[in-house]
Amino acid sequence: MLSLQHISKYYQTGGNKAYVLNDLSLDIDQGEFVSIMGPSGSGKSTLLNIIGMLDEPTNGYHYFMEQPVHQLKEKQRSALYKQYIGFVFQAYHLIDELTVYENIETPLIYQNIKGAERKALVADMLDRFNIVGKKDLFPAQLSGGQQQLVGIARALIGKPKLLLADEPTGNLNSKQGEEIMELFSKINKEDGVTIIQVTHSEKNAEYGSRIINLLDGRIESTTTL
Amino acid sequence: MIRNYFKTAWRNIRGNKFYTGINVIGLALGLVISLFILLWVQDELSFNGFNNQAKNIYKVGIIGGTGPTKQVFSVVIAPVATYAKAELPEVKDAVRIMNIGGNTPFKYKDKVFTEDKVAFTDPSYFTIFGFNLISGDKRNPFPADQSVVISRSVAERYFGDEDPIGKVVILGHDEQMKVTGVIEDAPANSTVRYDLLLPISRFNKIAYVEGNVNYDGKTRLSSMDADWSNFSFETYLHLKDGVNLNQVTKKLQAIHERNKPEDKPVPYVTQSLLLTHLYKIGESGGAIETVKTFSIVAVMILVIACINYVNLSTARAMLRAREVSMRKIIGAGKLQLFIQFVVETALMFAIATIIAIGAMYVLLPLYNDFSGKHLTLSLTNYQIWLCIAATLLFTLMATSIYPAMLLSSFEPLKALKGKIAGSLGNVAFRRVLVVVQFSVSVVLIIGTLIIGNQLNFIRNKNLGYDKENVFSFSMRTDMQKHYEAVKAELLKQPGVLSVTRLGANIIDNQGWTGDNDWEGKPAASNLLFRPIQVDETSMPFFKFPMLEGKTFTGAVADSAHFIVNETAVKAMGLKDPIGKRMRLWKTNGTITGVVKDFHISSMHNKIEPVVFTYNPQACWRVYIKTTGVQAHKAVEAATQQWKQYNGQIPFNYSFLDEAFNNLYQKEQRTSALFNLFSAVAIVLSCLGLLGLATYTAQVKTREIGIRKVLGASVAGVVQLLTKEFMLLVGISLAIAIPIAWYAMNKWLADFAYRITIGWQVFALAGVMALLIAFITVSFQSIKAALANPVKSLRSE
Repeated sequence: MLSLQHISKYYQTGGNKAYVLNDLSLDIDQGEFVSIMGPSGSGKSTLLNIIGMLDEPTNGYHYFMEQPVHQLKEKQRSALYKQYIGFVFQAYHLIDELTVYENIETPLIYQNIKGAERKALVADMLDRFNIVGKKDLFPAQLSGGQQQLVGIARALIGKPKLLLADEPTGNLNSKQGEEIMELFSKINKEDGVTIIQVTHSEKNAEYGSRIINLLDGRIESTTTL
Repeated sequence: MIRNYFKTAWRNIRGNKFYTGINVIGLALGLVISLFILLWVQDELSFNGFNNQAKNIYKVGIIGGTGPTKQVFSVVIAPVATYAKAELPEVKDAVRIMNIGGNTPFKYKDKVFTEDKVAFTDPSYFTIFGFNLISGDKRNPFPADQSVVISRSVAERYFGDEDPIGKVVILGHDEQMKVTGVIEDAPANSTVRYDLLLPISRFNKIAYVEGNVNYDGKTRLSSMDADWSNFSFETYLHLKDGVNLNQVTKKLQAIHERNKPEDKPVPYVTQSLLLTHLYKIGESGGAIETVKTFSIVAVMILVIACINYVNLSTARAMLRAREVSMRKIIGAGKLQLFIQFVVETALMFAIATIIAIGAMYVLLPLYNDFSGKHLTLSLTNYQIWLCIAATLLFTLMATSIYPAMLLSSFEPLKALKGKIAGSLGNVAFRRVLVVVQFSVSVVLIIGTLIIGNQLNFIRNKNLGYDKENVFSFSMRTDMQKHYEAVKAELLKQPGVLSVTRLGANIIDNQGWTGDNDWEGKPAASNLLFRPIQVDETSMPFFKFPMLEGKTFTGAVADSAHFIVNETAVKAMGLKDPIGKRMRLWKTNGTITGVVKDFHISSMHNKIEPVVFTYNPQACWRVYIKTTGVQAHKAVEAATQQWKQYNGQIPFNYSFLDEAFNNLYQKEQRTSALFNLFSAVAIVLSCLGLLGLATYTAQVKTREIGIRKVLGASVAGVVQLLTKEFMLLVGISLAIAIPIAWYAMNKWLADFAYRITIGWQVFALAGVMALLIAFITVSFQSIKAALANPVKSLRSE
């Protein structure tokens, strides 16, 4: 599904190059559930952002769905990620002014999907995540776990092939975290959505099918479960 | 999709009550004031436009006098119209208007009226100005000399529902005038507007056929068309299409010089009827200056209001970067985001516009009162919408620059992490806008202060004579004959200190004469004098200080004596004026005294040559000095005397102080409007500053928190937040002061007597601006400084 080859990312500070990612290569297949781990500053988030095309590597080759991302123009790249990738954030990043329903609906609006179809899709998602009763509430009225549920619902509404999650449980307590992880497994297995998550938690990492350990911008070890 | 834009925009507007409040109030206030000014300007520019022949109608003026007394007379002599019509092929028709002046008494049955808008005129008045008769004989509005044409409102006041045609009204004491026509009231934007019109042939009959009221009481002329000296007639020519105006004025001059060679050279000028309201004839300046100034002020106030909006919305865009980037990540296109911002602005504008128009409806009567106009607000007035649309467009463009830049340049990831705030160069953009705002405000503050100072200066200026506790009124012929008896009676009354009379209105002397001569008068000189007829009590009454010679004693020889003022001595070029030969009209005599200069008309005019002549019979205005405390008793006594000679005719008097102040009504109005405008400009600027200060405090919450943890005091934090704004206001001062100085010097140049602009005004304006800005900003700063740092740091 995606392939990173000899990816490097560095910042020029004075005469030195500060490497965030250093000649990293990685292939991920359709249907995988990958957990990326590593200490702070090891380049986990940067790697995730590069995969999500929110960030660009300094050099290296990046293929996604058979397309050479490193050769695409900004516009084509964003069209690509809008079509195939969903994002989940540690801080949820819901839009405060919109209700639960509207937050989930927004990506569909931007894809110019007709009102009736939007309604059906959102209703489906609300039902599936068991938050029908919350649909008219604003994010500030929800608990962290509920907000993250909405965040995931929003990420999935566009039927992405790949779900990227940057410490999705980082702001949650262990019970809420567990629920989110169960949900991820279910999405991965039942819908076949490829998931890549960054996490600090060993326990959460083990929900994945593969754990990649980063250290100083390189892959230190890979564990397949 | 579109519904969604509106929904989101509405949520944002509602969700941020503080910002929305500032924005909507600011925009609405700016719109109200600018639209009010727009209405005012529209009205000013519309004068005489209702007359569809206006472009071919020209007012005639004559340039008279030489040297310091060079003047453009906008009222001219009677023969101009007659000769122009008879001899000039370019002229279709001509009309003369001789204003009778205020307080003309009329009576119908037992109802008494005093009318201000009464004139003698030619029958062509009705066709040239488009005031067609709605009843009466159109072809012959004045069948007899005793005819009067009245306006509809006069007809209603006098006769109610009855048919006015054929009714007889009494003019003055006993002159019977028959109503022979009714016209519509002249529109409010007509410069020519009279309520009662009498045939000019009647004036001719009274003054030249029967009367002996020629200016010198000696010459007899057969008719007013033979009188080349009586400058009393406002004259308009209705010209044919495509006429060469230059030719017309040349021909008029030739006619004049042929008939009165001693006036040579006597250039004529013309002015389109469309310009008479806004421009002075033959001179620069006029009401157009005020129109221009107010238009600029209107634009400035709109700019300030827009700047508020731009500043606040761009500042808020920073705070909203997180939302915007999130929308980008979940699939929003740039255009979609852009439309979202535009819809929000448009919605805000719509709200402000509705509020503004509502407020205008409520405030219009107040504004009319304030501006002395009769403006109406009509939603079909397309210029109002043009003004709103232009403002909206300008604001949209300005507000869009920032979001557009934000949307295209930033990386969503950084914005999510809050790194975007403060990192873009647009802080400078906003600073520039704040400087513009405050510069405008400071210019307006300085303008207000200087106008106030000048009006004060005028009010308190020593006029060169004693005007304290003096009231005056004009006598009618009967009373004038019995003046001595009236005076004796008045002097017996408590409260009356002394009584005198003059042949002039001392506050605003309108008389001129160029019919003069003196020892050594240069051939080319055509010096104009302001003549004032006096009796022996007049000079001491007003305490005119004599510089040389003696005042009048009432001796027989005094009728051949002249007293002139300093300016006259200078203008005549006399070294040793006492005893010099002088002629005024037909009187040959000598100069026996020189009086110190005093002000004889508005401070707009320089002091002009004045000559006092001893001629008690020609004095028509009584001046009564009272004790002040018992002034009302003196007025009462004068009223009694008036009634004795004039019966029911209402008594009109005025205190010199008031009459003097009334000379500056226009300036007082300008001053009041300027006060209003600068207040609005300041309020708007402060609203903007308040918003920006709030935003800064929000953006700097973290910095403030850290500083407090590190031990910064509240005062230190307040200083941190206010320093920048004070600097901006300081820069505004530096920009505004030269502009204000230049503009206000131009305004003052219209006054012959004026203040010099001192540094104090600028210092005061500067302190005011800084203080207002400081109070505005410190409110937010103190709030931010007092906040608990734990709270502000936790969100990170």
